Amino acid sequence: MLRVSGLAVGYGGAPVLEGVDLEVRTGEFASLVGPSGSGKTSILRVVTELLQPERGTVDLDIPVSEVGFLFQDDALLPWRTVRQNVALGLRIRHLPPAVVDEKAERWLTLLGLGGYGDRYPGQLSGGQRKRVAIAQVLALEPKLLLMDEPFASLDAIVRMRITQELLDWVEREHLTVLLVTHDLEEAISVSDVVYVLGQGPRATIHARYPVEIPRPRHVIEARRHPAVGPLLRRLWEDLSDAPSPDHAPP
Amino acid sequence: MTRTARDGAGIRRGLALLLLLAAWESLSRVGWLDPFYAPPPSAVGQVMWTLVADGQLWPHLEATAIAAFAGLVLGLALGIVLGFAAALSPVLAELLEPVMILLNAIPRVILAPLFVIWLGIGLASKLALATILVAVLIFFAVYNGIKEVDQRLVERVRTLGGGRSVLIREVYVPSVTVWVLGNFKVAVGFAFTGAVVGEFVASSRGLGYLLQFAQSTYNAALTIALIIIIMAFVLVLFALSERLERRLLAWRSAT
Repeated sequence: MLRVSGLAVGYGGAPVLEGVDLEVRTGEFASLVGPSGSGKTSILRVVTELLQPERGTVDLDIPVSEVGFLFQDDALLPWRTVRQNVALGLRIRHLPPAVVDEKAERWLTLLGLGGYGDRYPGQLSGGQRKRVAIAQVLALEPKLLLMDEPFASLDAIVRMRITQELLDWVEREHLTVLLVTHDLEEAISVSDVVYVLGQGPRATIHARYPVEIPRPRHVIEARRHPAVGPLLRRLWEDLSDAPSPDHAPP
Repeated sequence: MTRTARDGAGIRRGLALLLLLAAWESLSRVGWLDPFYAPPPSAVGQVMWTLVADGQLWPHLEATAIAAFAGLVLGLALGIVLGFAAALSPVLAELLEPVMILLNAIPRVILAPLFVIWLGIGLASKLALATILVAVLIFFAVYNGIKEVDQRLVERVRTLGGGRSVLIREVYVPSVTVWVLGNFKVAVGFAFTGAVVGEFVASSRGLGYLLQFAQSTYNAALTIALIIIIMAFVLVLFALSERLERRLLAWRSAT
């Protein structure tokens, strides 16, 4: 589905990523973990063409319009209602108004926002805004879903609940996912494969670990699976070993 | 503040104003204030009543209002078009920005005599003055509004598949509306300033012309009456613009 090869990214001459290779197969749930500032987000931005790489290629076997990007923050159009925000991508695709309305309404209901269609984003809680953002992206029925620490700003209970809902959806629809997170346990509990990105500058992929936990998964149950402990330890060691300004070798 | 507290404050302010007027009136009556310089409120009221009752006021008010409204509309249109053009084209920005910065830095009413020489003492010169006062203000509102648009929203719309026209419709126009409305009341005030100052400099009609006449004949009562009439008119316009603002920015007050 997605293959990134030899990717190099820099901001204003400062190198961030160098020689990044990673692959997400169709139907696979991949996670990308790494220290803050190592350039995880930049990889997603290159895939969605928001950022021009210095070198390297991105091979997508679908048009970029079929890639959904769930951002870290929940910036919605503040001057549009919840319904209009959810319908935005559908309208951009010039679907007939009746189809747009029907789909938007269905996604609002699916995400428990049934009665909130006429509200403005400023009237919602953080968790509700996140649901609107999810509905906005999923309503386009993307083949590949990119997520950039989408739940970092939510409190633990809401976070668990939304993660579980999204996980159920991904498993049912066999969606291909690339999730960026710095929560190692979360990465293991939801993914089929975890990539470790080292510390920048010139960060590169350190390791790739398959996760052997059967599906369907429950976000809390999956964390208690015997495979999690050892994997967590290895990820932890990888990230501690990664050369970084904080842990410079003597 | 509770409703009663607010009403209480309104009543107290009204009382304070009445007391001031009463003091002014009494001081004039006992001869401590020279009515030539400070005519008593009753005299001013008398002049205002005459202006309204014999219909003298209306053609002048109409002349000023037409110049101010037309200047407001033209200035808004010009400012919005130039602001968008400069924000979307770096070449135009380089051409326009220095001129606009210069026009913004000077008191623009100094252009009034030049407009009179160019355009005569009719509607055109005061309209031009009102227009340029408003246009420069709105230009910067639009230009800065676009430059400071929330980039997260731009990226969001792009990843949802939106191109330039969608971005303009969904992100730029609404953000700019916020900025323009934020400056709208000032623009209304500027449009009036332009019209009245234009008339004051040279004209044959309008509130500014009447003011100029009152001043040249040392008629303090008429001068004060006209100032009060202009203030009242602008306050009514402010109230109307506030309603417009609330309507267009409903999404913001809905929090």
